Amino acid sequence: MSITALTPTTSPLFERISESKKEEVVRDLSALLGAKYVLHTFYDLMLYEYDASIDRCTPDIVVLPASTEDVAAIVKIAVHHNIPVVPRGAGTGLSGGAIPIYGGIVIVFTRMNRILEVDYDNLRAVVQPGLVNLYLTNALNPQGFYYVPDPSSQRSCTIGGNVGENAGGPHTLIYGVTTNHVLGLEIVTSEGEIVQVGGLAQDTPGYDLTGLLIGSEGTLCIVTKIITRIVHLPEAVKTMVAVFDTMDDASNTVSEIIATGVIPAAIEMMDQMILQAVEADSHAGYPQDAAAVLLMETEGLREGVTEQVEQIVAICDKHHARAVRIAANEAERQLFWAGRKNAFGAVGRISPEFYVQDGVVPRTRLPYVLRRVGEICTSYGLRVGNVFHAGDGNLHPLILFDSQIPGEVERVRKAGHEILAVCAEVGGTITGEHGVGIEKQEEMALIFNEVDLQVMQQVRQAWNPHQLFNPGKLFPMPGRCADVKQL
Amino acid sequence: MGEIETFESALQAFASTARVTSDADILRNYAVDGLLPLFVVTPTTTKQAAHVVALANQYGLSLLARGGGSRISVGNLPERIDVLLETNRLTHVLEHEAPDLTCHVEAGLTLAALQAKLAKKGQWLALDPADAAQSTVGGILASNASGPKRLRYGSARDLVIGLHVIQANGEVTRSGGRVVKNVAGYDLNKLYIGSLGTLGIIADANFKLHPLPIAERTLLLTFTNAGDSMQMVIALLGSLLVPSALELVDPAAASDMNDFFGVNLPTNRYTLAIDFEGATATIDRQVDETRQLARKYGVLMVDDLAGESQDHFWEAVREHTQGTVTCKVAILVSQVAIYLQIVEQVCHRHDLEAAVVAHAGNGILFVELRPSDATYRLVEAIAELRLHAKEARGSLVVERCPVDLKRRISVWGEPGSDFYLMQRLKNQFDPNGTFVKGRFVGGL
Ligand SMILES: Cc1cc2nc3c(=O)[nH]c(=O)nc-3n(C[C@H](O)[C@H](O)[C@H](O)COP(=O)(O)OP(=O)(O)OC[C@H]3O[C@@H](n4cnc5c(N)ncnc54)[C@H](O)[C@@H]3O)c2cc1C
Repeated sequence: MSITALTPTTSPLFERISESKKEEVVRDLSALLGAKYVLHTFYDLMLYEYDASIDRCTPDIVVLPASTEDVAAIVKIAVHHNIPVVPRGAGTGLSGGAIPIYGGIVIVFTRMNRILEVDYDNLRAVVQPGLVNLYLTNALNPQGFYYVPDPSSQRSCTIGGNVGENAGGPHTLIYGVTTNHVLGLEIVTSEGEIVQVGGLAQDTPGYDLTGLLIGSEGTLCIVTKIITRIVHLPEAVKTMVAVFDTMDDASNTVSEIIATGVIPAAIEMMDQMILQAVEADSHAGYPQDAAAVLLMETEGLREGVTEQVEQIVAICDKHHARAVRIAANEAERQLFWAGRKNAFGAVGRISPEFYVQDGVVPRTRLPYVLRRVGEICTSYGLRVGNVFHAGDGNLHPLILFDSQIPGEVERVRKAGHEILAVCAEVGGTITGEHGVGIEKQEEMALIFNEVDLQVMQQVRQAWNPHQLFNPGKLFPMPGRCADVKQL
Repeated sequence: MGEIETFESALQAFASTARVTSDADILRNYAVDGLLPLFVVTPTTTKQAAHVVALANQYGLSLLARGGGSRISVGNLPERIDVLLETNRLTHVLEHEAPDLTCHVEAGLTLAALQAKLAKKGQWLALDPADAAQSTVGGILASNASGPKRLRYGSARDLVIGLHVIQANGEVTRSGGRVVKNVAGYDLNKLYIGSLGTLGIIADANFKLHPLPIAERTLLLTFTNAGDSMQMVIALLGSLLVPSALELVDPAAASDMNDFFGVNLPTNRYTLAIDFEGATATIDRQVDETRQLARKYGVLMVDDLAGESQDHFWEAVREHTQGTVTCKVAILVSQVAIYLQIVEQVCHRHDLEAAVVAHAGNGILFVELRPSDATYRLVEAIAELRLHAKEARGSLVVERCPVDLKRRISVWGEPGSDFYLMQRLKNQFDPNGTFVKGRFVGGL
């Protein structure tokens, strides 16, 4: 048999560890790291039981290593005691990737947060996984450079977590996502070995392990060092907000912009519900009565930007944009973006909870799919807002709910599932940047068949045969302890 | 009947429309490094192709896929080839979703044919390896071939969004999809690209496309030495300008290109070719600024190409990466100038000649070594050059060389510390060794 059999899904992969075993492991880990960097009391652990998704589960122990060697030693201790290990960045993940559904050890990288090397001649930076995404760009800005992938959570998410999820962001439309900007990794394997993959130079002979590991959600290896590209800041940036009276007009505008090949750096869409939430929160000046706005940015050489702005404005006009406003200065530009980047937070003000989906569809299908999203949510009696990377066709419907209302969570999950089914049906995918985690395990079957999934299982078998790393994720598998977070 | 005969009759029974050949005269055209396959099978559908793989797996035969054959001799010597699976009749453009800037094509289509089709809608697949007329999509992906414009557009890993792959047991599986952003499950596309058919046979691919550039212009700058030209490259890379390609041609390569392609480059200088694409206004400005910058680095002469002469020049550059003995060296850009000196010294010591063209902005050099029959001297020189590439934090792969030389070297060099993980993957994907062994890194 060339195909590894699927793991039986009946009994849990790992039992929760006993108190006495926990004491033993804490002792081993404390001897290695110092007691200060091994958290194991109820209150200390509570902070690490959730991420930005709607699930949660408490780890048994949280450790804060200071070096790659520490990480390798932690893994060896975990191997010895057969306890699962879950790497965690900032915990901003939206699919439950960092939630330890069988408990065990969570490795947190807050002490491994340095920029190790910046090489401007070769346009490379080498960083530790705990570095906050925006800090890299901030460090490079004075020299005129930056790190491109810019998740909206970039003020808090880590580069390690970005590698874990293959994160994107508004500006990945022309420049690509994390995998297009990372050239090599240092990793710790599930046996606790330290290995280098890829490198500073391009085209390392052999399989592209770097490419395989990016987006593996902590299920294949633990990343301890990351080699990234860095890029020169653009000379000119123009940011526009186009206002539409119907969602269809807005999405047709997106389709036409892409079709004509005039591809700006970012095209983000926000619908009316989001606009109202954002306006209440950050007063960015977005119209409250519009059906949708497109936030678009073009950048590059001055001449090119001017021309692109003209083309985009013309396309907006053709699709009945009520107005197109171009940011007059940097302050206004920042304000436009603040509205977008804080949109999730703003929605938090109008609803106790929300559930974000992350499906991707061919850009020409946006009008249809957005209509369906609305219909599906209405049919479940749920409110939804859309704020998303329209240029990539990457939807983020935010379904509002209140878990205190009986049955509401179930309806939210069902609506979410139906939305992803629509994405799959039009040739799209179930996740564009947030990852599968625990949240979309079942939905994997919407786009991959049994055999496709078995091949992926083979990969996990090669790297993480006993599922020591982040067990019970990515593939359909019931029998877990995680429950829905009650806020 | 032996295994082979049963395999053959099973194949004949199944594949009525696929061509199956075991005629010795024909097989000779399909030799890989002098090694003949026992059969060549040319299926017309993916289903047939998958069936052939399943049969090979069942009968314990070893199988190699072949597209147009332009890169079939990349890699070490194959151990044994029983079945050569020719993909060049899998040539459908399954979809060209022009408004979505994506397409879906079968693996046997040549790049040239694909580009012609896409061009009708003003688009292209931003890959420009040598030999587009012969190379198939599958072969390009399996060998991760690229060209000068990878500076701007990246390589296959940046453009492939989905694949169907025939696994060793004959099952056809999907990875990725048809949308431009996708993180569902492991990114297996990356694994198959460049794996030289050791993990699976690519049946079809989905790509992200780009609009054809509105305009294009190339500047040819002449410098006295490699150092100045590479200073220029580093300055350009760290500037606001966005060239699509930055190619360095050394004097020996310039002279070859003059002789074989009728271009007209100075033969005692280094030529740096800089390609700009986009709207005319941005090109004009970049050309002006490049000229100014070049003066700072002691440029001797500037020439300007457009239209046919430009196309012809880039064609010549691409073809020049395919000499009889060609090493592909990938190092840091800042090390290229020093490395060029090392090449000179090493060649001098071993009484060899080198001609180099480099994707200078990517730190990738194609070093052609001559004479190609100086086997022993080449063995030593390659070992030294490889060592220096390693010191410059990079690698050296012998992309092309005669079989006689190949017997005496490892074209990939010693595998790194991550090799055992590659081996594990190979064992998972191809436990019975159905895909030809020996060619890839570490004999995989
Ligand atoms: C308001 C908001 C906006 C967001 N916007 C975007 C956006 O625009 N684009 C986008 O892509 N995402 C976005 N996200 C999602 C999230 O921020 C990203 O997925 C981010 O990459 C997660 O980083 P983190 O450091 O928080 O990782 P975590 O959530 O802690 O972990 C994410 C995954 O990576 C793994 N991991 C972490 N560190 C390592 C390591 N060192 N080695 C191996 N695996 C590791 C974890 O196990 C987990 O599976 C947003 C989230 C929020 C809350």
